[in-house]
Amino acid sequence: MANENANAVSKEKELNKFSKMAMLRRLLPVVGLVAIFILFNVLTGGRMISNMNLVLSQVYVTMIASMGVFFVMTMGGLDFSQGSILGISSIVVCVLTQSFPLPVAILGGIVTGAAIGAINGFFYVNRKIKSFIVTICTMFLLRGVIKYLTTDAPIAGSATLINYDTTMMKLLCTVIVLVIGFIVFRYTKFGIYLKAIGAGEKAAKFAGIRTDRMKFLIYVLAGAITGFAAFINVVKVGSVTSSGGNQLETQILIALVLGGMPISGGANVRFENIIVGSMLFIVLQSGLTMMGISTQMLQLIEGIVFLVFVAVFADRKSLQVIK
Amino acid sequence: MSNEVRLQVKNVCKSFGITKAVQNVSFNINKGEVHALIGENGSGKSTLTNMLTGIYPIDSGIFILDGKEIHPKNQIEANNEGVSIIVQELGTLSGLTVAENIFLGHEDRFVKAGIKNTNAMNKEADALLKKYGFERIKAAHMIDEYNFEDRKLVEIVKATYFSPKIVVIDETTTALSQEGREELYKHMERIRNEGNSIIFISHDLPEILDKSDTITVLRDGVYIDTVKSKDMTEDDLKKLMVGREMTGKYYRADYGEKVSDEVVLSVKNVTVPGLIYDVSFDLHKGEILGFGGLSESGMHEVGKAIFGASFDREGSVTLADGTQINDIPTAIKNEIAYTSKDRDNESIVINQSIGDNICLPSLGKLGSGPLKLLSDKKLRAFSDKYAKEISVKMVNTDQFVSELSGGNKQKVVLARWIGRDSDIIVLDSPTRGIDIKVKQDIYQLMDQMRKDGKSIIMISEELMELIGMCDRILIMKDGKISGQLDRNPDMDENSLISMMV
Amino acid sequence: MSSSMKTTEKKKLSGKAKGYLILIVLLVASWVIFKIATPGNFGSPKQMLQYFQASLLAATGAVGFYFVMVMGMFDFSIGANIVLSSILGCVLATNFGLGYVGFVVGSIVCGALVGLLNGAFYVKLRIPSMIVTTGLALIYEAVANYIAGGVEQTLPSDMRAFGSMPGNVILAVISFIVAYIFLNYTKVGTYTYAIGSNEFVAKNMGINVNKYKVIAFLISGAFFGVEAILSISYGSSMVAVTGMASMSRNFIPTMGCFFGMAFRKYGIPIQAIIIGEFVINIIFYGFIALGAPTAIQDVITGLALLIIITLTTRVDKGEIVK
Repeated sequence: MANENANAVSKEKELNKFSKMAMLRRLLPVVGLVAIFILFNVLTGGRMISNMNLVLSQVYVTMIASMGVFFVMTMGGLDFSQGSILGISSIVVCVLTQSFPLPVAILGGIVTGAAIGAINGFFYVNRKIKSFIVTICTMFLLRGVIKYLTTDAPIAGSATLINYDTTMMKLLCTVIVLVIGFIVFRYTKFGIYLKAIGAGEKAAKFAGIRTDRMKFLIYVLAGAITGFAAFINVVKVGSVTSSGGNQLETQILIALVLGGMPISGGANVRFENIIVGSMLFIVLQSGLTMMGISTQMLQLIEGIVFLVFVAVFADRKSLQVIK
Repeated sequence: MSNEVRLQVKNVCKSFGITKAVQNVSFNINKGEVHALIGENGSGKSTLTNMLTGIYPIDSGIFILDGKEIHPKNQIEANNEGVSIIVQELGTLSGLTVAENIFLGHEDRFVKAGIKNTNAMNKEADALLKKYGFERIKAAHMIDEYNFEDRKLVEIVKATYFSPKIVVIDETTTALSQEGREELYKHMERIRNEGNSIIFISHDLPEILDKSDTITVLRDGVYIDTVKSKDMTEDDLKKLMVGREMTGKYYRADYGEKVSDEVVLSVKNVTVPGLIYDVSFDLHKGEILGFGGLSESGMHEVGKAIFGASFDREGSVTLADGTQINDIPTAIKNEIAYTSKDRDNESIVINQSIGDNICLPSLGKLGSGPLKLLSDKKLRAFSDKYAKEISVKMVNTDQFVSELSGGNKQKVVLARWIGRDSDIIVLDSPTRGIDIKVKQDIYQLMDQMRKDGKSIIMISEELMELIGMCDRILIMKDGKISGQLDRNPDMDENSLISMMV
Repeated sequence: MSSSMKTTEKKKLSGKAKGYLILIVLLVASWVIFKIATPGNFGSPKQMLQYFQASLLAATGAVGFYFVMVMGMFDFSIGANIVLSSILGCVLATNFGLGYVGFVVGSIVCGALVGLLNGAFYVKLRIPSMIVTTGLALIYEAVANYIAGGVEQTLPSDMRAFGSMPGNVILAVISFIVAYIFLNYTKVGTYTYAIGSNEFVAKNMGINVNKYKVIAFLISGAFFGVEAILSISYGSSMVAVTGMASMSRNFIPTMGCFFGMAFRKYGIPIQAIIIGEFVINIIFYGFIALGAPTAIQDVITGLALLIIITLTTRVDKGEIVK
């Protein structure tokens, strides 16, 4: 009996240690964000705060698009096609604004994104091809389409778009999307379903979740969300060039990892990962740029920080075989 | 057989998390004997031999082989010490040739200056295969070209060609046909006559009595006794294996109670290609219907088929109100519950909290308001209620399931379905790898459910619990139902076994 | 039993032949289709030889990458490795005046080193390989950019022996032979398949799984070093791109590897990679001959990879794919 008690105590201790570790992991990104924000403000003599609008203007698209990928990664999938989706959807939005009212253009962007997401979902779910392979294929394929469509000249949207380019407007759109996402993820069954699929797909299926349908729809959703982000993107840049949306997928991946998201998804993901991660990424990037650091150096630092964060937050317990 | 000691097992212990799989086990194995290791599922037989052969590290205790302490870190090191194993599952690797499989880890003999002499390797493998009488298996062929049975024969060669001092045969026979078994027995006999020893693990008690010289019994990871086969009967062995809990309120005590005529579930002509053929039966209200058979008999697939989880299923599964069950969500919506034999992968999301696991199938019911929003408080109250009702041993429901023992995992699964208030409960191997105390809880729970008018299908490889718990037992053989037995105090395992094999 | 024996015997005999047959049909079919579509400017023997030479680049990398793919791992830093290795080799040859030795040894050692780093980080950090290599690719690109000083590196015209016949063919053939020997006549090959088949069983059998995973990455990296030599020799210069733009170089070797994986069951993976890359190139040049705009190249590449994978992946019911 005494033995059993001692056991229970040691177990409790272990659990304590475990939850401390979990706490640390949860706080690290937030503390990191605050710390580097202060650091850069000191280093740049407050230039960052005074240019906050400019800094923020880069975060909206990444943050919105990150949410879709967040859902995908929660299920244990990956999506590298987001940059190309943003590019194609931006082209569609631009073209539509030239002759249709704005809501039609926004809807057009969303539908385009959703359609590409559906292609990803089809190959991933029905053909059982690993998600990262499917999405690098579509990424490359669509990148070619973007290059082709912009061969002669960048595709410009309607000139009236500039009227919407206000911080208020972009901030509001981002907040609305995030709030809807938060409620759906946190207070409906879909959040728990997604985490269950990420943590154990077979078991999730045996608990009554239509996993295949869910996986497909999440890819469609991720595409649609980025399709919406395309509108914000177009408002900001006005026209799409051959590099439109380039690199967004890498930015999203880095942002989510910086936000503390375990790379394999599952039960340990938190919605805050999106917000903290994209902020951290943008602050880091703008801060380093403001300090006059070269592109290569920036990329080097990004690469190192990325690896460190992946290593810290990886949920190795749920990965039996790491491929 | 001599009385010289070959292997001493001394105070060996092994835990997995909080589960004590092997506790302080000590016994001796003599030269030139077939030493059987028996015990119920989860009694620690495989864990013990896996430590001996380097598959698991030893927590504490030692193995002394011919006076020398051995600590193999993997099978190759074990082989070099003179210990080898033929495992339960497939032990050969796809994508390699037969010869590569036989000599895996021992290639160095054929390597000169970094270059492997494939011809010499194939030649030697062919010679070995010939010596064993398996000429039809060719060393240079890919192992994938051979069926399960032949691949097991290759494993026999792989495990014994170097005349190891001890060969572990871990539940290999259940997967083999009669021919395959005869082949294996022949080689066991040969190894024994050469003065080497065999550790033989099997669930088939007549086989144990027939083929072994000495028997060691384990129960819940604890050493019980070592006996001579010739002095034992099957009943003696069973008593040793099951132990004290034969008495008391363990299984159901009632006999002769009439089962309701009301059919709640009707299975008609269900076929799952390659697994089960033309299975039909009815399940009655308040009935515990058992399915028994060998592991490969198809009975496990019956559970999946009812739950709508089988692929390419034909035939129909119909509820009393005419609803057809063809997929899992429909099954759950119509209050069918299922616990899989593969608990960690199929029954429960291991890397998720106890709370989420209990709530998962009931989430649709727990939402409130027009948007069906969930509140953390409500979910917590729900999972707390059912986790406590079935007394899951845990810190709180935020704890991850991966930290629980097998028995408590199973309790979480049951709590989930009780919370869902399912009416038809399909339990596949519900007590597999679970200690006696939790087993007793589960049996009591099943009895209570039955009295509450729930219907239960119990699929099990443990005949005793089928006999003890079921109103009716269907025996499966080669994917078909081969017989039926009704509840009866005089029923014994032999009547079931005769229908199984 | 004896009858089933005979059929397996027969299948075995025709296995390799069947594989070759499929590959040759693919080869001829792709040639015929484009020859009919655009008879004037496609597919003369001389042109076919050009296509073949161009296909050797990716084929040399792919035969090395095959070791990584068989184990079920992936590498996103292929392109970054090629860029870094070729630039380093070029700089060693020119700025340091080490000539051919510096160029060849530098590129291959650099490639192998990159592979070693990939493997070491993957094994030590215990993170999925594609994620580790994504992070590392960012770093390799940045390093390559530093070495190049931000400018395009051009290989001097007197050092382009590996850019044309016979230099390129000789180097490629040597690589193929080395890969073939590694795969079929060393422990590494056996263990690569063993780990790819079932890591747990392989580990239980006493194979040092982590060690051989690192070795696979090392081999793969060295072969990409060779691809780097061929690439810069063939194209005469190399730009140190940033922003993951090097990813576009990942595709063609990956495609070849999928050919190898698909033809593994016929026992001719290396051969399938070589012929597969050739077929892919025939199709590319076919499209160019048809007058497809250059931007469409990427579309074709992406689509071709998707189609090849779709055709070579078996859909198993109930299998969990992430």
